[in-house]
Amino acid sequence: MKKLINSLLVAATLCMATSCSKKDNYAGPDATFSGNLINSVTGKNLLTETGGFQIQLDELSWSSTPVPYNIPAKPDGSFKDTRIFSGHYRVIPRNGAFWPVDTTEIDISGNTTKDFTVTPYMEIKNFTWKLSGTTLQMTFNLFAPKTEGLPRVIDVQPFINNTQFVGSGATIYDVYTGPNILGINANYSDEMAKTTYTITVPNLLSGRTFYARVGVRVDDSNKKFNYSEIVKVDVP
Amino acid sequence: MKIKYLVLILIGLAFGACNKLDVAPLNIIKDQDIFTNETGVNSYLASIYGTMPIEDFIYRPERGFMNGDGERWQNFMQPGNLTGEMVGRYNVGDAAQGFGFWPYDKIRTINYMIVNFPKYAKAFTPDKYNQFLGEAYFCRAYFYFALVKRYGGVPIVKTLQSYPEQSIEDLSVPRNKEQEVYDFIAADLDSAISLMGDANIRARANKYVAAGYKSRAMLYAGTIAKYGTVNYVDGDARQKGFAGIPADQATRYFQAAYDAAKLVEGHYSLYRKNDNKEQNYVDLFLDQSSPENMYVKDYSMSTGTAHSWDATMTCRYMTADGDAACYPTLDLVEKFTGPLPITNPDGTPKRFNDRSELKAGLEPRLLATIYFPGATLRGKEFDVQRGIYKKFNGTAAEELANNNTSSWDQPDNLVVSGDINQLYNGRRVMGLAGMYATAGNDNRTRTGLYVRKYINYKADQATCGLYQSVQTWIDMRYAEVLLNRAEAAMELGTADKTADALSVINQLRDRAGAAVATGNITIDTVRTERMKELAFEHHHWWDLRRWRIADKVLDNTRFYGIYPYWIENENKYIMLKQEEMGHRSFFFEKKWYYEPLPGGELGKNPNLYPNNPGY
Repeated sequence: MKKLINSLLVAATLCMATSCSKKDNYAGPDATFSGNLINSVTGKNLLTETGGFQIQLDELSWSSTPVPYNIPAKPDGSFKDTRIFSGHYRVIPRNGAFWPVDTTEIDISGNTTKDFTVTPYMEIKNFTWKLSGTTLQMTFNLFAPKTEGLPRVIDVQPFINNTQFVGSGATIYDVYTGPNILGINANYSDEMAKTTYTITVPNLLSGRTFYARVGVRVDDSNKKFNYSEIVKVDVP
Repeated sequence: MKIKYLVLILIGLAFGACNKLDVAPLNIIKDQDIFTNETGVNSYLASIYGTMPIEDFIYRPERGFMNGDGERWQNFMQPGNLTGEMVGRYNVGDAAQGFGFWPYDKIRTINYMIVNFPKYAKAFTPDKYNQFLGEAYFCRAYFYFALVKRYGGVPIVKTLQSYPEQSIEDLSVPRNKEQEVYDFIAADLDSAISLMGDANIRARANKYVAAGYKSRAMLYAGTIAKYGTVNYVDGDARQKGFAGIPADQATRYFQAAYDAAKLVEGHYSLYRKNDNKEQNYVDLFLDQSSPENMYVKDYSMSTGTAHSWDATMTCRYMTADGDAACYPTLDLVEKFTGPLPITNPDGTPKRFNDRSELKAGLEPRLLATIYFPGATLRGKEFDVQRGIYKKFNGTAAEELANNNTSSWDQPDNLVVSGDINQLYNGRRVMGLAGMYATAGNDNRTRTGLYVRKYINYKADQATCGLYQSVQTWIDMRYAEVLLNRAEAAMELGTADKTADALSVINQLRDRAGAAVATGNITIDTVRTERMKELAFEHHHWWDLRRWRIADKVLDNTRFYGIYPYWIENENKYIMLKQEEMGHRSFFFEKKWYYEPLPGGELGKNPNLYPNNPGY
């Protein structure tokens, strides 16, 4: 009897052990999806910041109502994700400071790249800066590539950080950004286009190197910023 | 032979047995046991009332209604923290996307009654029957309102769904438009109003309670129609009407809100039992017999439902247990007073002999809402003091700009501490009620102020522990109905309506001990009055959303406190307006005007797509 039970246990163990050997035969997330967001006016990458827009992916291979997956922007206006499941996707750049674009459908496998062309709400033009003592003065013009239906311009903010990653999410807000915001609160007009704006940031710490830029935002769904390029400021 | 008979008898018995098994099981309660007598219907309704999504003391915006949850003592995790009327442990994003509220199980319980109860109508007098059925409609509207204010359009289910009798396709109900849901709520509340009587039964609805909630719901719909069409996030859900109401509907909703609020007039009244306006406003939240209370929720120790408001709104100095972790802001105070008189014309801080001098002449309602430095509770003073200046020779602005280190301010001139027991020349550096040097510790105020509303000052300190507070939550009081009426009236904007709004606002101000308004008032007057009157009652979060101003009010916004200091060489106090110690930055993303539909529900029911814009 004991022998019988033992042999039954052995048989059961074998059965269970073999049942474990079933393999997941789906491919892993081994595809790469990357690209750039091109500013339709300048032909260069959109000036943005880390997370300044997202590429939303909806995988249509399995369901018409998938859970969205987002790739955040890199500070140079590109995006890249090396762990994507191969498949058929609907993609759209969203949640950034540009006019809404239409979705496109694309097959992603291996190493897929795709550039999107977008029109920014606003551009910072003729951006110049000068440092007098510890006071940074930045001058610029505001320019809207497309004016019809443009939401109200809210404000222009200076962003100052001690690394080259500088933007609304990476700035010394309390001291340099918050007190020096240039409120505009008006619709874009010819007069605004002609105006030269100046933002002054006083009392930069001596002996430090800062990275600075300005950003303008409009009252759209996302209130993200259109940026100037980044300048390096060595404070004596 | 014998066996043959035996078999026949057996067969006969077997057949006979079949007749006797159709007996109602005695261990299952059936509809006719419940819906045919008052006790049964009362208990059925109690099971519904008990799960109503009431945003009471223990509600948390990111965790929900906390029934039975072990962290339900943390009453400071309340929605006021998201708005800047107080500051605490939240950033806006921590709670703005909700907690996956989806109470269709509870709605089915109500639908079951609405479908089945009418079969037993003849067991009751018509009045009784109508009252009960009206309460069911009221409860269903309450649930749908809790849904629509979070998600916009949700599926309207008013039939009794059954599985597996119905297929999954049948049960996958698509979203209704936001407007349809508000109209459905209005229809249910209209049914409730017409069916119910006017008897005031504690913690239950009557005709006028339903009207009060109708004024609230219709006001929300009206403002969403008016302001949500100006400030919005675009997307499929908006295009299809799931998130957003057409602007041309606004007037209709404001009129409905006004009419519903007007219906309540004369049936409830503002609490005015005590001639001392400050004490009167304090007692309003504690007196169970207040004629202002319309719909309440009660608590008791014996049922294990007691909350912890007393233990978690003021510091341990005044309580037996718990921690405080949310504090009113000076910004809220300034809504009542404008800038407080803490600075002389030459810019130097005004000197106070005693901290309580700050309170002199302030509006009684404000003093009853917030504990200022120098106030007392249970015989103990809120001796709030952040530190000691050995001397103070300059202006407040100069000192604050230099982060409390002006030129005259030599090292160690300002003494602060993180230790309650630290002494300086025999005197405590910080008060027993706060403030620490930095925000490292909770329990003592980070703004100089504490919540007073709803605090049970009569309770002994020893009984102010966790789960020992039993004061009633007032989910709707007549003051709110008046504010709903005033706001709807201002939005309608005709001369007679504006005059009505002015008289309503002045009823509230008179009771509050505030200066009455004369002449022209604006919508902002009404909104500010609403913020003041309903502070900490969990309204302001929804108000900021439905007015669609949250993204402007909370745009990297910092909030302020009032910090008392003692000046050693003068033996005087000064108060400085400083950023609250947590230095939180409040930022509201526009997509948060709607919460995302819960992911699990989207997975079960693809017909719920599209999700709200931005998600």
